[in-house]
Amino acid sequence: MAKRMADNHKGDELNPDLAEPLHFEKANCLVLACGNTLRSDDGIGPRLAEWAAERFRGDGHVRVVARQQWTPDLATDVAAADSVLFVDSSVDSVPGRVSLVAVPSNRGNSDARSHHLEAHELLGLTRSLYGSMSAHALLLTVGAGSTELGETFSDQVEAALPRARGVLEKTVLRFLAN
Amino acid sequence: MSQTITIDPVTRLEGHGKITIQLNGQGEVEDAHFHVTQVRGFERFSEGRPFYEMPSLMARICGICPVSHLIASAKACEAIMSVRIPHTAAQLRRMMNLAQMVQSHALSFFYLASPDLLLGMESDPKVRNILGVAAAKPELGRGGVALRRFGQSIIELLGEKRVHPGWVVPGGVTEPLSTEKRDKILAMIPEAYANIALALGAYKKIADTFKAEIAVFANFPSNYMSLINEDESIEFTDGALRLIDAKGSTVEDGITATRYTEVIGEAVEPYSYTKFAYYKPLGYPEGSYRVGPLARLNIVKKMGTPKAEKELAEFKQLAPGLVESSFHYHHARLVEMLYGVERIEEILADSRILDKHVRATAGVNRLEGAGQAEAPRGVLHHHYKVDENGKMTWANLVIATGQNNKAMNLGVLQAAKHYIKNGKFTEGILNRVEAVVRTFDPCLSCSTHAFGQMPLAITLVSAEGEELDKVVRG
Repeated sequence: MAKRMADNHKGDELNPDLAEPLHFEKANCLVLACGNTLRSDDGIGPRLAEWAAERFRGDGHVRVVARQQWTPDLATDVAAADSVLFVDSSVDSVPGRVSLVAVPSNRGNSDARSHHLEAHELLGLTRSLYGSMSAHALLLTVGAGSTELGETFSDQVEAALPRARGVLEKTVLRFLAN
Repeated sequence: MSQTITIDPVTRLEGHGKITIQLNGQGEVEDAHFHVTQVRGFERFSEGRPFYEMPSLMARICGICPVSHLIASAKACEAIMSVRIPHTAAQLRRMMNLAQMVQSHALSFFYLASPDLLLGMESDPKVRNILGVAAAKPELGRGGVALRRFGQSIIELLGEKRVHPGWVVPGGVTEPLSTEKRDKILAMIPEAYANIALALGAYKKIADTFKAEIAVFANFPSNYMSLINEDESIEFTDGALRLIDAKGSTVEDGITATRYTEVIGEAVEPYSYTKFAYYKPLGYPEGSYRVGPLARLNIVKKMGTPKAEKELAEFKQLAPGLVESSFHYHHARLVEMLYGVERIEEILADSRILDKHVRATAGVNRLEGAGQAEAPRGVLHHHYKVDENGKMTWANLVIATGQNNKAMNLGVLQAAKHYIKNGKFTEGILNRVEAVVRTFDPCLSCSTHAFGQMPLAITLVSAEGEELDKVVRG
């Protein structure tokens, strides 16, 4: 779950870079989701990943991976992708707010542990290990209203689902556009 | 005035625990304890469930070593069913258990221990983690990531899931191995060998720089217990248990799962939710013993695979007699990973490995059953009782971490006494005390059958309970 996002806006936050077409030689997009489907809104990442897997089924250029946590071994998946869309919930955000921001590649020191990395840490690890960085890395989050035990979303997150799917779809299509 | 130093929670472990170190009025260490602070519950809520659900239920105890729980649980169920599983199913289970051992050892060595080993016990705690290792030694970082994926990929290929696969069931496994999957696993093996060779080479180069730690990291005589084959080679899935004493003499051999509870008892200490296993004839605490990689390599006479055989011979030269320092758990893990890859390659060459008959079926034929297997951290024992309809009426699990509990506590005390003088300590010193526990790679989630996380706080408390100092990490 993302905890440190810059989150100063009342409404949805979209990265202005997306207004420009992206250019890279190989369209290879990784959708990397994180969350626990047993903790209410924390399950938004896996739910969106499930939707993305269905939406892009048969498209060999899109790979969708959902995990409870982002772990160091995912660095090989990130290294193999030209673009990465991280998908997570955010407890620091307004419930239901959909945000899309660039992932900073380096934040200096980290308190990284063995089982859980944040998106920027996973990118940093990928660069250290493989000397490569995905050309584009964005973080899509949905503000969490509740992370209590439960398999349903709060009203705010339920209402945000169509918007989040739309942002996810548009982002992946832009990644693929060449 | 006496004082207590508290390390809570201990970092880079699987689960949640804390360490307290009690100082006397002169600032010398009087006692130390490793506390496991989680609460257990799996044994109770399994009551009333159909016994055949037990493997998948019990696997949820742990996300790191669920395969060992699956296997020990399935074996307990098979004792209730009174069935012998097909040869191919036994081989496939063995392969999955070895794959789990490789990925778990890779996690322990590369992710949890290597920050201390490669960056130094006194290095900046802000970079003393996997990211710091990746930046300083990227080739080793890549090796660690690749070995963890090697094990996880095999588990996923066999069981469709990397964590908590439902493929191991009472009676065998649900699906046979396909030619395509076999070939995929075979294709991964050369890289795994290369990465283990890299890690072994790097470890042997730096091991000598840790002589001081080797001397005081749970370096004392103890009993040891592990599974072993009849030909005295290492075994993770079948075989029977052997207990040896501090001189290497066999105390008891051929301890089957059925006999386990006759000879192994569990003591309770007021400071920990994890029990303390001991060998009943010797009583507690004299009958305490160590399990896991160090125990296994001390007990076996051979590995049974050529590359690991050479490494075992070298390992046994680390000390005259038994290798006693728990620091050498790290080295033992690397030897076992090499064995695991070799053995997986051998299993895949078994002429019957693609057989389709991989499951035996039966109902309730006994009202009690027990099963055991080696988890990466040591012996795991499941013991169940059912009613005539197959509903669970009772369960008891003895976990590797509980069996290492006494040694971990004594190890913490030994290191604390050595490093802490006049009540003074640094972050590096406390990191060494934590590192003693890390050598055992305890799985506290397993030992208490609950989940946990690992930030760190160190508190210095006076005898009157006044908090004198506190350092918080993470």
